[in-house]
Amino acid sequence: MSTKGIGGVAPAAWLALGGLILVVAVPFVAIVFQAIFPEIGTGSFAKPFSLLGETLADTRLLLMTGNTVLLGVCVVIVSAFLAIPLGVARALYRVPFAPVWDVLLLVPFMIPPYIATLGWIMTLQPRGYLEQLLGFNLTPVLFSLFGMTLVMTFNTFPVVYFAVSRTVEAVGARYADVGRVFGATPARAFLRITLPLSAPGLAASLLLVFAAAIEEYGTPAALGRRAGFDVLVTGIDTRVGDWPIDLPGAAILSLLLVVLSLAAFLLQRWILTRRSYQTVGGKPQNADKHPLGPLKAPVLALFGIVVFLSTGVPMLAILATALSRTISGGLSPGNLTLDNFVAIFGNSAGALGALTNSLTLGAATALLTGLIGVVAAYVVVKTKMRGRTLIDVMTVLPNALPGIVVAVGLILAWNMPGLPFTPYNTGFILLLAYCCILLPQTARYATAAFVQIGDNLESAARVFGASGAVAFRRILIPLVLPSLASAMLLVFALASRELVASVVIAPVGMQTIATFIWRQFEQGSVGIGMAMAFVTIILTTLLPLLFLGVLRRSRLVRD
Amino acid sequence: MLNSIKGLVIGAVSSLLLAGVAHADITVYTAGPQSLIDKLAEGFTAESGVKVNVFQATTGKVMARIEAEAANPVVDVLISASWDTATDFAKRGWLVSYTSPNAEKVPDFLKNDTAVAQGVSALGIAWNTNSGTPKPAEWSDLAKPEFKDLVNIPDPAQSGSAFELTAALAGQDDFKLFKDLKANGAAIAGANAEALNPVLQGAKAAVFGAVDYITFGSKAKGESIEVIFPESGTVIAPRPAMILNWSKHQDEAKKFIDYMLSDEGQKLVAKTYLMPARTDIAADRPLIADLKLLSYDAAAVQGKRKETLQQISDIFGN
Repeated sequence: MSTKGIGGVAPAAWLALGGLILVVAVPFVAIVFQAIFPEIGTGSFAKPFSLLGETLADTRLLLMTGNTVLLGVCVVIVSAFLAIPLGVARALYRVPFAPVWDVLLLVPFMIPPYIATLGWIMTLQPRGYLEQLLGFNLTPVLFSLFGMTLVMTFNTFPVVYFAVSRTVEAVGARYADVGRVFGATPARAFLRITLPLSAPGLAASLLLVFAAAIEEYGTPAALGRRAGFDVLVTGIDTRVGDWPIDLPGAAILSLLLVVLSLAAFLLQRWILTRRSYQTVGGKPQNADKHPLGPLKAPVLALFGIVVFLSTGVPMLAILATALSRTISGGLSPGNLTLDNFVAIFGNSAGALGALTNSLTLGAATALLTGLIGVVAAYVVVKTKMRGRTLIDVMTVLPNALPGIVVAVGLILAWNMPGLPFTPYNTGFILLLAYCCILLPQTARYATAAFVQIGDNLESAARVFGASGAVAFRRILIPLVLPSLASAMLLVFALASRELVASVVIAPVGMQTIATFIWRQFEQGSVGIGMAMAFVTIILTTLLPLLFLGVLRRSRLVRD
Repeated sequence: MLNSIKGLVIGAVSSLLLAGVAHADITVYTAGPQSLIDKLAEGFTAESGVKVNVFQATTGKVMARIEAEAANPVVDVLISASWDTATDFAKRGWLVSYTSPNAEKVPDFLKNDTAVAQGVSALGIAWNTNSGTPKPAEWSDLAKPEFKDLVNIPDPAQSGSAFELTAALAGQDDFKLFKDLKANGAAIAGANAEALNPVLQGAKAAVFGAVDYITFGSKAKGESIEVIFPESGTVIAPRPAMILNWSKHQDEAKKFIDYMLSDEGQKLVAKTYLMPARTDIAADRPLIADLKLLSYDAAAVQGKRKETLQQISDIFGN
């Protein structure tokens, strides 16, 4: 690897560091303090480490940790198994209706996991929608490790699908074709050339899936408890949500989760640093894709089945519930009503305010995490600045912090007496929480993209007299923009539906989409909650697509 | 593009700022239904001109927030769904002594120096009338073969009232009923709403110890569900309202408690199918006087909380 340490990055590095300290370090330090000093909430440093031993000596802890890792690994394996064939087919071949499949595979991102889980429960349980339609149910499958893995995979595997299809496309058929020229079979060329060169994107996306799986609350809470399958996050929630509240215990368990996630991160880094993955040089890419030939029917069938299970089933269950007058009325024409949607658009219980709040927060979070993420990734990958590993670690830390713990950390940090200014009890505290939780998304994608860009491009720009800042803006940003833009759209969707942190930290009198839905469920108005969920999913799918369309027309992003 | 981003940011910033609490007069944290606190706040503001800022969540989440805020608390009035909160906060010396003039008709067991009930919920059997099962009358009916695999029990670890019912019934026969329920395929199923949902769809036939007002609300919406209060007795969960001693708006907070206990306030409570705390306010549902209550030593039961939960989890663990 060649010329690193191109000058003129100091301001960028300071920007990244400042943003990371504000967004990540502040709540994280607060959590560490809470774990060490049980009475920090009242401003006292008394009895340090007094609860550490007791919490870690809990015998169930080992079981919960084991379950957490097991669930994470299962979700990663099944996600890879589903996503890699689809992603590779999409990248290398002319798949019919490819843009349609892309949009449909975007939808699972937009479905809040707890809603998707509820949708699956209402479909598969006895007398659920499946039994009402076809006469049988699949309850034993649902309430098991297998069911949990499937539901969570359908929610997260598109991360891998999009990463694989993007990076394999960037690697292009070109490198594999070179292998073919030298006599490799198609399978060998793919396994030895295309797949290894796509490793950065694949590894980054699998890391995100693992982190999302060990941090996910809704699905293990709804499905796992019934199966006697406790994970760390449900243990943390019990400590935060059940009287007597045990914030120090929750903080200690969260740090355990962070350790798990960091271990996964180091593994991913180790894989990536063993060799060079630079595939984006100055040479033009051959954009030609091969026809599918006889594989057309099976590939289409695979896309159809996966899309039906990941998008179709949850969406239909949500819609069916939203259109039902009563749950006990079931799927019958007499039970059909638009009342729930009328209630949403009639602003019942502040539904429209909640929508506006969440969409605004989502957009602001996407912009901020995009900015911090891309600068941090640049500093980490393309400079030799001291302390860049610290920056890298900070962009991955929040990956494993459960939302509820981030919320507690932010309250501890920003509700201290005597602060001249505090975002607490304003909407900004939600913005901080979302940025913290979602920063790894943009940072990981941007890092993977920078890893694939050859240093010679930037050097060429510098030779021709561009300053470091100009080279960054004119050469590097346009090259990472496709990855960054999709990560930011993902952040937008995830932020607009974040539940777990929002429930605890929302400023008084402010509702978000997720807290609105959750309150409707708590009060037994499942139909209104599902109607809101449906409206949100449609909006968060269409808005980014429109936005991307505008970007494309203005030629900021290539197709 | 820079301009459009600037526009977005300014829009975001201004809408976030508007959500702040700069003009708050009193801040109420409540574990009660959102619709109830919204109406109470609206009525109170109309009457007194004092604005009310509301944070609503489950009792656990409200407590987590107060605990994390302890260095710099902002809440003036707290309405919990569990009387333990009132006892615990009084012990910590966090509460203001206040007896509202409107509390005269609130029975003694629903008030003390530092707390007064807003309303009361009771636990009952929530039974799906279309489930094809015979109408249950007693807790023990749910351990009969007709209800094999068809009963949900709210998690006593997640719901304060479910814990009291579990502890009170388990104390009578040393967990025999719960062992029978487990043998009959009953499942512990999340918090209250989570336990009720499968019963509405018909996956289960009954909830053992459902919170009554949520179920009455579902019934009013047309769900085929009924609430049965067993003759052998049940437990009630009074929802205490308290004023916190760090409040800088204690006069307004007291006025809010007065309004909550006024005719108007208590009628709003009755409309959500909670039992009003005042005995002289009518409600479209059975009242405390109509219910038989299990007798048990609440303090002793709370003292053995950890052991009881452990035993339940041993019985129902897979």
